[in-house]
Amino acid sequence: MSNIQLINTVPEIFAERQDLKSDIWLQDVSFEQGKKYLIEADSGTGKSSLCSFIYGLRGDYRGTIKLNDQDISKFSTSKWCDIRQTSISILFQDLRLFGELTAYENIQIKHRLHKIHNKRVIEAWFEALGIADKRNTRIDHMSYGQQQRVALIRALCQPFEFLLLDEPISHLDDRNSDIMRDIILTEVERQGATLIATSIGKHMNIEYDKCLSL
Amino acid sequence: MRLIWKLLRKHISLFELSVFFVANLIGMVVILGGIQIYSDLKPLVAGDNALVGNDYVVISKPVKRLNSKSVFSAEEIEELKIQDFVLRLGEFTPAQYQIFGGINIGGQGFSTYMFFEGIPDDFVDVKSKEWKFSKGKRKVPIIIPRNYLNLYNFGFSQTSTQLPQITESMMKDLELELTLSGGNHKDKLVGKVVGFTDRLNTILVPQSFIEWSNKRYAKGENIEISRLILEVENPSDPKLLSYFKKHGYVAEDKPAESNKALFLLRVGVAVIIGIGVLFSLLSLIILTLSIYLLLQKNIDKLRTLIDIGYRPTTVAAPYNLITIILSVSIMALSIWLLSHVRVLYIDYLSEAAGREISGGMTLTIISGFVLMVGIILFNMTIIRRKIAQISRMQ
Repeated sequence: MSNIQLINTVPEIFAERQDLKSDIWLQDVSFEQGKKYLIEADSGTGKSSLCSFIYGLRGDYRGTIKLNDQDISKFSTSKWCDIRQTSISILFQDLRLFGELTAYENIQIKHRLHKIHNKRVIEAWFEALGIADKRNTRIDHMSYGQQQRVALIRALCQPFEFLLLDEPISHLDDRNSDIMRDIILTEVERQGATLIATSIGKHMNIEYDKCLSL
Repeated sequence: MRLIWKLLRKHISLFELSVFFVANLIGMVVILGGIQIYSDLKPLVAGDNALVGNDYVVISKPVKRLNSKSVFSAEEIEELKIQDFVLRLGEFTPAQYQIFGGINIGGQGFSTYMFFEGIPDDFVDVKSKEWKFSKGKRKVPIIIPRNYLNLYNFGFSQTSTQLPQITESMMKDLELELTLSGGNHKDKLVGKVVGFTDRLNTILVPQSFIEWSNKRYAKGENIEISRLILEVENPSDPKLLSYFKKHGYVAEDKPAESNKALFLLRVGVAVIIGIGVLFSLLSLIILTLSIYLLLQKNIDKLRTLIDIGYRPTTVAAPYNLITIILSVSIMALSIWLLSHVRVLYIDYLSEAAGREISGGMTLTIISGFVLMVGIILFNMTIIRRKIAQISRMQ
């Protein structure tokens, strides 16, 4: 059973704060396999920091974070490469797409690492999310909402045990948000993965197993 | 790879890479040219089989008056051996009996009294399979100074229409009729020239033959050593010169002259190679800076690639590829250019030397390969370090 555990974790910058009221910071929290979590937060409470800690991009925290009972602060670069290829997938809040590549090339550059879907599945997602006609458009010529959908498809193009979604629908209308939810749930279900989504108010209409306030 | 390349090629500056290419090409051609010229010229000034870095000096004592012998005493030899400028010491052992030699060239008989000397084999600059003497055999291998042949060709043969000029290979085919006498023995043996020396001004026979013949014809009488060969690091060492002066030893001119030429050649080549190294270093700095700048300009993309699961080695691959392609083509082009330049001077050199220059390009190619691998490894290390720095957790 895979899990992520946060024990007494707190970002360095919050370490000295006395008035910290959070379900996650300085608590003992565990994200269990197959469950769906929503982390609600106000701006500036460390939502993106949390994602960066769990994904191994930043180490400026106190306390311990464990992935499958191993302290992630001890992981090597090579181990993180393995984890990012097969264990944790992320939809970054700032998307991190490549502006000079087309929408489809942005997917390919990730998908070629594992090729877990056939071409038809990816094309169906483009179709469902209403960006099929933008397949060959450069990312920097697309709207932020369209880019967000491309970034989601990219996040689904790998095997994962955990899917981290940092404000996945911040720029989507309700209809597209529902379509995105259906695609995410189907894929999470298929891979038997854990879903961790963050939100600053607007969130996907899902029956979460647990809602945590940051 | 195609997509990674598309992503990362954006900031590649053709101008910077071209400057590197040209500068490195010049540097490489100059360095390798220096090495090539050295390997081509060295056999001319340093003798057939002279070892790189070794210099030899032959010393004797001046003749002072009639009926006196200028010989080295055992103490003097021992003292020389322990001097720190002497790497090795060899004694010239003279034949102490009568030798009469005859030769037949083009039907013309030619005979004279002559002498033999022997030195330990490892001082002999001519390597030949025939350089050995077995007791009971009538054949004696002989090495003569190359200038003896010149003396014959441009002296004797010029003054007589009946004596033809002969080449080195013809000389090797001739047989010398030797008559050795002394100590109640008189034997006829056959001498055969097996090589020509630039280092030693004497008629050489193997040391084993000298020892055997001295015993037979001179009854092993006490042998007096009048000449010594020294292997030294630097024949112009002031310590060596003042030691010789103090003890009244005289160094023979010929090897010293060739040592001077070898020294000049080395200095010349060192200057050429130094300039080449400078060019190459400058061009290496240009390449390294270009690649470093390229990595810096693409830092966000590189970081994103690593953040979405790419391995640092995969991300480094396009940069490594640029380095490898550039370095390999520079090396290949340098060797190609040199081989063409060499054609222009090799005939002239062979003609000037009066024999085939057979240095070849092996040393140059090996040096080029080593330099190329060095440049590639240096740049790959820089690329790996920079990407490792990007991959590290912040």
